[in-house]
Amino acid sequence: MQLTYLEAIRQGIWEEMDRDPSVFCLGEDIGIYGGAFKVTDGFIDRFGPERVIDTPIAESAIVGAAFGASLTGMRPVAEFQFMDFIGCAFNQISNMVAKTHYLWGAPAPLVLRGPSGGYVHGGPFHSQNPEMWFVHNPGLKVICPATPYDAKGLIKAAIRDNNPCIFFEHKYLYRRIKGEVPAEDYIVPIGKANIVREGSDLSIITYAAMVHTALEAAEVLKNDGIDLEILDLRTVSPLDREAIAQTVKKTNKVIILHEHSRTGGLAGEIAAIINEEAFDDLDGPIVRIAGLDSAIPFSPPQEEHYLPKVEDVVREARRLKAY
Amino acid sequence: MAIKKKTSKSSPNGNRRHNGASQSKSTATDLRTYTIPDMRLEHPDLSVRPAIEKDKDGAEHVRYEVTGNLNAPVPPILDSKYLDKKQCIEIYRYMLLNRKMEVALENLYKQGKVVGGVYFGLGQEACSCASAYALDKDDWFAPMIRNQGSLLVRGFRASDTMMQYMAKADSPTHGRDGTSHFGDIEKRNMVSPISMLGDLIPVLSGVALGARLQGRNIAVMTYIGDGGQSTGVTYEGINFAAVQNLGLVLFVESNEWAYSTPSEMQYRCKDLAERAIGYGIPGVIVDGTDACQVYDAARDAVERAHRGEGPTLIEAKMMRMKGHAIHDAAAYVPKPMFDFWKKRDPIARFENYLVKEKKWLTAKENAELISEVERVIEAEREIAVNSPMPTPESAEGGVFCEDGCHDIKPKYGLPKVKKGTAGYKQTEAAGHLK
Repeated sequence: MQLTYLEAIRQGIWEEMDRDPSVFCLGEDIGIYGGAFKVTDGFIDRFGPERVIDTPIAESAIVGAAFGASLTGMRPVAEFQFMDFIGCAFNQISNMVAKTHYLWGAPAPLVLRGPSGGYVHGGPFHSQNPEMWFVHNPGLKVICPATPYDAKGLIKAAIRDNNPCIFFEHKYLYRRIKGEVPAEDYIVPIGKANIVREGSDLSIITYAAMVHTALEAAEVLKNDGIDLEILDLRTVSPLDREAIAQTVKKTNKVIILHEHSRTGGLAGEIAAIINEEAFDDLDGPIVRIAGLDSAIPFSPPQEEHYLPKVEDVVREARRLKAY
Repeated sequence: MAIKKKTSKSSPNGNRRHNGASQSKSTATDLRTYTIPDMRLEHPDLSVRPAIEKDKDGAEHVRYEVTGNLNAPVPPILDSKYLDKKQCIEIYRYMLLNRKMEVALENLYKQGKVVGGVYFGLGQEACSCASAYALDKDDWFAPMIRNQGSLLVRGFRASDTMMQYMAKADSPTHGRDGTSHFGDIEKRNMVSPISMLGDLIPVLSGVALGARLQGRNIAVMTYIGDGGQSTGVTYEGINFAAVQNLGLVLFVESNEWAYSTPSEMQYRCKDLAERAIGYGIPGVIVDGTDACQVYDAARDAVERAHRGEGPTLIEAKMMRMKGHAIHDAAAYVPKPMFDFWKKRDPIARFENYLVKEKKWLTAKENAELISEVERVIEAEREIAVNSPMPTPESAEGGVFCEDGCHDIKPKYGLPKVKKGTAGYKQTEAAGHLK
């Protein structure tokens, strides 16, 4: 079945709620309205207001309540209207939820999910990719799918996981991409990267919307005789160290591509992993392509300048190939 | 509480007109004149403000000074509506255990056996012990740093807390955290506190939500200080419990000082119980040094929670009788204020009530009880001291629940869900951004 990225997530949560009575949803405007992006559209008719809960505009309360319910063995799925607002609940996530299993041995099987990412002119507070705030928090799993298949398989895996998972849905992809999604039940394992394009000349390590940017760039570069390998991380914490090392060992040249700001970004961590796992295999410098070190500006020409583009990948790939 | 009858008639989301707090007899329904029930037998009028004080060299210093009737007589203990002789003596014993455990901790600190500081609940034992005593077995709670007595009431051992302070391998967190920062979701239904204030309030509300989805109305009790209630998450958590009608029993422990800042600099309203009016939930004031008042208010709130009638805010007025932690001599507290509250010591008052007023304990029985508690604490101290320190390597692992370390299932039974007839179909509604 061909599904949009949004529909794949929606179907994944719906099926989990149908399958497991301990799964419930809470968040702002997710009930009769169906959520700002309609991920829970129609859920309240099927599952009722007890399991599809409209909350006050209070992100710390949403996370706190989800955590509390998880301690009683429920599996809450909490929606952030935009992931930019997850900062409002930072203490609850970082100090309460993330540390709970390590400190006092209580599992917290909850999912915090919502739309992130730019390319839709959402402005500085509706376009961010705040995943790195949580990658630096041991105890959280951070998931950023790029395809409908992965989005459905990973949201189901996150709901079934016994740990707190933060699930970043790229809003640019919501209705722009479609993909084949099997009718039968399946999950995609958390923490496993995926080669989405095999190649021999150099590797792009990326995730979420940037996977599609890299795929477009690969088509352009094919005409130059440059054969890109693209590794989709799918999960940014924990990182698939083995898959990162393998692709570097295969192509010996690597570009790390992400949408969020460069400084303190995921590329730095991946570069360090390559340094630890595959230093001797490198035939060129590790290249970073990332967002600017600023807020994401609103006006389309400015936003376009801030965010990585296909041309950036093409340019850097040509430069690295020639190195 | 006087408000009980009104709230029991209210809609599941609270009766907006009466809003829990009792209303005056005014016939004008749009006139909002609320009152907050106050169980106290005295209303201390002490006020703290900065004043200039000259030292012997004539140099000026800013110091807090206290004004008000510092010589007011100590009120009697209010007879409980619910507690019998046996229960009163049991609460009294927990209060003694609480205090003597903290004396032992102070000594362990002086002997260099404690890692970090020690936090005390001196002067607050009635509030910690009588509140937790009002919970039923299936109810949940989460203490704050000064509620070490609550832990004893809920079945933890004094050695658990002692080992936490000494960072021992056998402590409930195996050395990973200290103080009252531990929990137990299996037997004693306790959520571990974190150091940040107010975050437990939405969490406990969520515990009640989880239980309700499993078909149970439980009470979830936690605490916040007059300092901690200033945080935004406190508002978010109480408001969430209010709109969802969850069985939160929130003790606001007004103990006059937030570290070194007097309550006058934390909030502007007269009593923090007034906040309940804004949340649309019942609020009540009790004397936090009177175990019977604390218990009665807590029990009323717990029973409301069990009936599915929603949250209650209980403000307990008392005084923190030591510094913020053991390092802090509390020199900023005007001495007459300590003198005033020392006369209201919760244990001395309850002892007097049980031995002299009620004659439920003879002097001999009381002395025996005290020495029994001392023997228990000494034995617990021995256990704690003899526990080894954790190995360095035990810092590793356990970040995630994996490899079958927990079998997660609904605690009160699988939720019974009703499903609508609407089947799955793809959404065609417009999203917020294209």
